Amino acid sequence: MTNTEPTGPARLDVRPVKRPVWKRLSLVWLVPLIALGASLYAAWQSYQDQGTLITISFENAAGITAGETAIKYRDVTVGEVEDVDFTFGLTDVLVHARIDKTVAPYLDDDAQFWVVRPDVSVRGITGLDTVLSGVYIEGNWDTDADVAQFEFVGMEQPALTRAGQRGTQIVLRANDGSALSEGAPVLHKGIQVGYLETPELSSDGRQVVVTAFIESPYDRRVTSSTRFWDTSGFSVSFGTGGVSLDVNSLASLIEGGVAFDTIVSGGNPVRDGQMFDIFDEEQAARDSLFIDPNAAVLEMAVLFEQSVSGLSEGAEVRFQGIRIGEVSDLSAIVVGEGESAEVRLQAVLAIEPSRLGMSVDATPDAALALISDFVARGLRARMVTGNILSGALLVELVQIDDALPAIVTLTSGQYPVIPTTGSEISDVAATAEGVLARINALPVEDLMDGAIDMMDSIERLANDEYTRAAPAALVELLDETRTLVASEDTQAIPGDLRTVIRDLDAIVASAQDADLIGDLDSVLETANAAVANLDAATENLPEIIAQVETLTAKANALALEGLIATANDTLAGIDDLVSSEDAAALPGTLNSALDEMRGFLAEVREGGAIENVNAALEAANQAAQAIETSVSTLPELSARASRLVAQTEAVVNTYSERSRFGTETLQTLRDIQTAADAVSALARTIQRNPNSLLTGR
Amino acid sequence: MQVFDLGSTGTVSGLITAREAGLVACQRCGQVHRQDASYCKRCDGALQSRDTESLQKVWAWLIAGMIAYIPANVYPMLLTSTLVERSESTIIGGVWELIHHGSIGIAIIVFVASVMIPMGKFVAIIYLAVTVQQRSGAHQHGRHKAYEIVEFIGRWSMIDVFVVAILSALVQLNTIATINPGIAAVSFALSVIFTMLSAQSFDARLIWDADRTAG
Repeated sequence: MTNTEPTGPARLDVRPVKRPVWKRLSLVWLVPLIALGASLYAAWQSYQDQGTLITISFENAAGITAGETAIKYRDVTVGEVEDVDFTFGLTDVLVHARIDKTVAPYLDDDAQFWVVRPDVSVRGITGLDTVLSGVYIEGNWDTDADVAQFEFVGMEQPALTRAGQRGTQIVLRANDGSALSEGAPVLHKGIQVGYLETPELSSDGRQVVVTAFIESPYDRRVTSSTRFWDTSGFSVSFGTGGVSLDVNSLASLIEGGVAFDTIVSGGNPVRDGQMFDIFDEEQAARDSLFIDPNAAVLEMAVLFEQSVSGLSEGAEVRFQGIRIGEVSDLSAIVVGEGESAEVRLQAVLAIEPSRLGMSVDATPDAALALISDFVARGLRARMVTGNILSGALLVELVQIDDALPAIVTLTSGQYPVIPTTGSEISDVAATAEGVLARINALPVEDLMDGAIDMMDSIERLANDEYTRAAPAALVELLDETRTLVASEDTQAIPGDLRTVIRDLDAIVASAQDADLIGDLDSVLETANAAVANLDAATENLPEIIAQVETLTAKANALALEGLIATANDTLAGIDDLVSSEDAAALPGTLNSALDEMRGFLAEVREGGAIENVNAALEAANQAAQAIETSVSTLPELSARASRLVAQTEAVVNTYSERSRFGTETLQTLRDIQTAADAVSALARTIQRNPNSLLTGR
Repeated sequence: MQVFDLGSTGTVSGLITAREAGLVACQRCGQVHRQDASYCKRCDGALQSRDTESLQKVWAWLIAGMIAYIPANVYPMLLTSTLVERSESTIIGGVWELIHHGSIGIAIIVFVASVMIPMGKFVAIIYLAVTVQQRSGAHQHGRHKAYEIVEFIGRWSMIDVFVVAILSALVQLNTIATINPGIAAVSFALSVIFTMLSAQSFDARLIWDADRTAG
């Protein structure tokens, strides 16, 4: 610009005046400053807000994703998983997570973490939202900030008891843990007031111990006089009141549960960790109220030779009618060795010393000494029928006065053995059946039929016209007889006799002539006998007549005028008969007939037959009365029988119902199980591959 | 009135500027005024022969743009929530994802628009500002072209922001699928705006002023 200076005025120096740097600074510099400030602030803020890093170890970290899985506390997200890796040796999964700074101080040693996954149980479906959103880690801690921790061990199952939840933890003890499952409800008067935690075996492995949490304020209902019992499944009990089926909630039916009640007031309040026994049945729990369930028991054995069918664990042990314990175990053991070895059925009796009248703190040894003493004086064990309907047996310790000497032995196993005596088992069903069979077998109908037939016969006989005609016919017959006797022919008999004698004389003469005197003598004797016979016949006539008269009188008494006409006809017939020649032969026949008639009438008169009939009728009457009595008691009897049958039937039905119900329940359970498996499989699939919901794979 | 040797215009050696001629051109409408005029008599715009604070503004906006560009790359650009998944993707992360999915073409477009162009702009503006400050006379035409390209292409960087804005506006299906802009989208938009302001603040006339002083 300097070498080629154009013509014209001097060139203006337009260079601006140099100003100080700070004056030349433009306001626009504020923009990057603000931007820088904002960025730095954001970075600092971000650093400040960065949560506390904690580490949780899990056995199973299925579904946990770094950068995605949230950590929630009471359903509010308080952190996020940053990284997932393994411990040294790959034993556990370490989940590193950032927890909000505001929450971190509360993570002290009571903090619990678990992974929330979809869960389908009888109590309901939980965590279903995690099917779509993926799992998250639920944390739980109380509201007291203690010494903050940074490393935690995650739980495999959700914590049932929220830290800080108000309530009381007690320990329950049961012989059988099949009815106890984690989360099963604790019921009081039918409502859930708590739940069971995981059941565990006691240290000696003989019992199941489970911690139960009773929520406040219901925990005040639990005192030292509270009794717990098992409500799982359902119970069928039957007795004189009939059959009662006791079913609790469906949940407790399937996953078990316990119920409790405080039957008397005045118990001491419980503290955390107090131990209670779980009774099998509510009744047993209530019965046990006045006995300390935790008292030591004496275990003794009884060896039975016969079948113990009907005896079950838990069956009562009675001493002189009072319950002193129960059967705790039933097993078969071998007694003896070699050839003499035989199998006996061993019932272990758990006897509570305090029920034997000993002091509450009596030791089992003292009780054993007492029982040994009793045994030496004749105490024996036997099985007796406990429930006549179910045939359940119980063990009774009974005093046998003339018992063979025996002592409590310790030889066959770990328990001292009480000697046995013959058992008294009455099978009510068989007895009742026998009674019914006998009643059925009574020939009641035959008896009735016989009686009716007999009465019919008597009536028919009495009404028979021949019977009625008999007296009149007799009169006629006697008249005819008299006529016959008075007849000339009869009168002529002596003349005829004389003629005969004359003839005889002539015959004798001729016989003498013919040297037949000896023969004649015998002939004469025969004739004499014939004459004597004839005399006897004649002599009998008046007596016959007297009898006939008596008969006539009786016949008159019977006087049945209506029949006279018939009798006349008959008499006409008899006239014909009498007028016939055959009638001449009648006297002998008549005589015998009259004899028979007399005998008959004598019998009739003497009341033999009548008495017999009377006696028969009396007997029949008595029989009828007896039958009537029987019949009058029959309704009652049949009512009883039908009740019995109904009960038996009900029991049988209940049993069959139960089995069917059980089958159905099992089936339902299997279905639920299958469904749960399917849902769980679906959930797992979805968890592993959430895109499958969208892609359909 | 000065007499200009117009015969030498168009060549570097004979180049004469309006300023040297005692004139000032309106930046807005192109009307030429005498140097002492303050306002354009046609469009009433302020007349300034040389913006003395131009470089300051360039640097200031540039730095602001660069600052804003950092969170734009660190923080997520898109917050995608579907029924089953929630994902955040940064610019580079998105490019990687596209490459993994085989969409090389789209990946290149995104990479060019979101990374190459802004970075190129930074480099170009820095180069221009430094050369002007050092009053270097080299590559006057090249630098001028660079400036024009920077100014023209700057607005296309906003394509990213538009994509995010449109997606966010369209994909709002509640729980099923939602796309929201992340902090990076705002940062990126700011960065683009700042660099555009920076390029605009640059007074291209300084390029040949430097040439004059150097020559």
